[in-house]
Amino acid sequence: MIFFMMPGKMIAQTDSSGKAEVKEATTYAPLITFISIQKNDNSVDLKTSVQAKINGVLTKLPGLKIEFTVGSDSSAKKLAEVLTDSKGAAVFNCKPDQLVTDAEGKLNFKASFAGKDSIEAAEEVVTVKRARLEITPVKEDSVLTVKAKLVDLSTGTETPVPETDLGIFVNRMFSTLKLGEGKTDEAGEASIEIPKNLPGDEKGNLTLIARLDENEIYGNLEASVVQQWGTPVSYVLKELPRALWSPHPPIWMLVTFAILMSVVWGHYLVIIIQLFRLRKEEPEPEPN
Amino acid sequence: MQLNSTQQKAFDYQRPVIEKFGRRAGLWSLFYLLWIILGGYALYLQIAKGHIVTGMRDNVVWGLYIANFIFFIGISYAGAVISGILHILKVEWRKPIIRIAEMITVIATVIGPVFILLCVGRFDRLHHLIIYPRLQSPITWDVLAISTYFIGSVLFLYLALIKDFAIYRDAKLKIPKWRQRVYKFLAIGYRGTRSQKRHITISMNLMAVIIIPLAIIVHSVLSWIFGMTLRPGWHSTIFGPYFVLAAIYSGTGVLIMAMWVYRRMYKLYDYITDKHFVYLGYIMLVLGAGYGYFTFSEYLTDWFGSEKWDNEVISKIFNPAEYGWWFLFANVAGILLPIFIVAFPKTRKPNWIALASFFMVAALWVKRYLIIVPTLESPLLPMQDTRLEYVKYSPTWVEWALTLAGIATFFLFFTLMSKFVTIIPISEFAEKEKPKESITEKVTKPESEIIPA
Repeated sequence: MIFFMMPGKMIAQTDSSGKAEVKEATTYAPLITFISIQKNDNSVDLKTSVQAKINGVLTKLPGLKIEFTVGSDSSAKKLAEVLTDSKGAAVFNCKPDQLVTDAEGKLNFKASFAGKDSIEAAEEVVTVKRARLEITPVKEDSVLTVKAKLVDLSTGTETPVPETDLGIFVNRMFSTLKLGEGKTDEAGEASIEIPKNLPGDEKGNLTLIARLDENEIYGNLEASVVQQWGTPVSYVLKELPRALWSPHPPIWMLVTFAILMSVVWGHYLVIIIQLFRLRKEEPEPEPN
Repeated sequence: MQLNSTQQKAFDYQRPVIEKFGRRAGLWSLFYLLWIILGGYALYLQIAKGHIVTGMRDNVVWGLYIANFIFFIGISYAGAVISGILHILKVEWRKPIIRIAEMITVIATVIGPVFILLCVGRFDRLHHLIIYPRLQSPITWDVLAISTYFIGSVLFLYLALIKDFAIYRDAKLKIPKWRQRVYKFLAIGYRGTRSQKRHITISMNLMAVIIIPLAIIVHSVLSWIFGMTLRPGWHSTIFGPYFVLAAIYSGTGVLIMAMWVYRRMYKLYDYITDKHFVYLGYIMLVLGAGYGYFTFSEYLTDWFGSEKWDNEVISKIFNPAEYGWWFLFANVAGILLPIFIVAFPKTRKPNWIALASFFMVAALWVKRYLIIVPTLESPLLPMQDTRLEYVKYSPTWVEWALTLAGIATFFLFFTLMSKFVTIIPISEFAEKEKPKESITEKVTKPESEIIPA
């Protein structure tokens, strides 16, 4: 038969499943990336990302229980236990009343994993000085400006932090867009002009963000404000374009379909009626 | 029912075939069953392990199964269109072969869609096609069209069988009682009265009229699954008529092969004569020429346009290192061979025509494979870091086993049906027809093939 004459190319492949070799039990040392972000509402976001090198590829590890603590080793206070998500990330928002500072006004956070199955235990520590970043939108003579102020809170009073680079960003659909940079002055303030006509949401709202990234003393700080400085843009389509995923088929298609199906099934119906009549008309069998 | 002498003779001749299953038919059925069991094991593996046991991957998501689906649905149209047209035109010579054609239609329409089920995998969501249909999807059109067509082809076959069922019912056949009851039930009280004949004639005429456009629409819809995508090698306005013509063409080939087999197996030389092969050969020649024209037109326009993605597919199909030899086979065996064999009187003989049909049918199966696979191996989005087995499709033994099981099921159904009803319709013969006359057409028949009186 012709089917047996197919060339090697068409019949060569065999089932590749079920061939997985049984490997010796191996343990993997996870790599924890841990950062803290001090917010302008005085809370702190604790973010971890857990990965391990498996078969030579850095793989994100989901479903691992990460314990967050605050305070130095002797007086560490457990904050929460969070499972890593499908991207290997675990995030916890630490409220202001949960925060504990040491004698130097520093925050000591620890993210630890106790170990599970073939994944070894691991931990990572972050130590930052207590600080706050504030953001204030200012409109002067139709010029849009964002004022960001960085203050140190480690001493119990608000001390401006000068000579520090800050970035101003705006939220976009998938990420943030950098609008500009500024250096804080003696008052700990930096002003950055915002472009006009940035596309906003339906009401023209923009989420403006001031950020201090990876500072040696304060770590990461972030402050955000929603301001109606954008151009209103509606992302909801009032009329869907013609597409396969449209909720309803076009009228002409429905009409054509209905005509075709009713013609064909109408014929079938007539034929079935004819067959019923034929059966009814069976003559009485003749007596022998 | 009263039979005329011609009918009586035709019935007496075929009576032993339907009364006894026979050792040979039993052995063949067993052989087919073994293939089906192998296919069943392959299906079990596919369900248990998933589609990883097939050669289909992310890029080439259709393979042998869809090629088989188009092939079987294609051959099913031959029965409908050929028997429908010949019925409307009241062509007398159609009568002995019309049942084989209608049987091909019904059996192929049953087997074809099974390959879709094998391809989609998620049987548990099958009912979603019914409860969440999207009328704007060609797949939904296909489901509705094929199921409508299946009902129509079953009705068409049944209408042509009612009179014969009445004959079997009244013939006191030496068969088990359950079969007698089945014949009685299926004969629905037909006694051959003038009014009953009228009902059947009206129904047959209606069915013959509707089955032809239906078959054309159904295969056009099937072609639109390809034609309405923007993929190279598929997005073509001539795919509708191209598919319809190829379907009738391949179906004619299967009909000729089935006629050749039954003629030899049951010694039906008095009924399926050389004339039938020659006439169907002429039909095959015309269809082959038309199919050749469409093929040339399709590839010429793609090649001439030099569009990047079209060229990628064309170069794969023309390249001897990829699909070149198969493309050559598909065109030589699928177009040139049948035309040459029928064109010359010396080769215009049943055996030659049947041989040409066999190669043509195989070539058209290869053609379906060439429509599907090279296009899927040429995606519009570039693939990166993808393993070769994901880019290149090659069927696994599981797919081959299920393909052969499908073919075996086709043959098994044919064997079973030929033991349940007579291959040559009895009731179609009128008194004036004298089948013996056809035996005088001994022009090409070897002596050994003549049935002793």
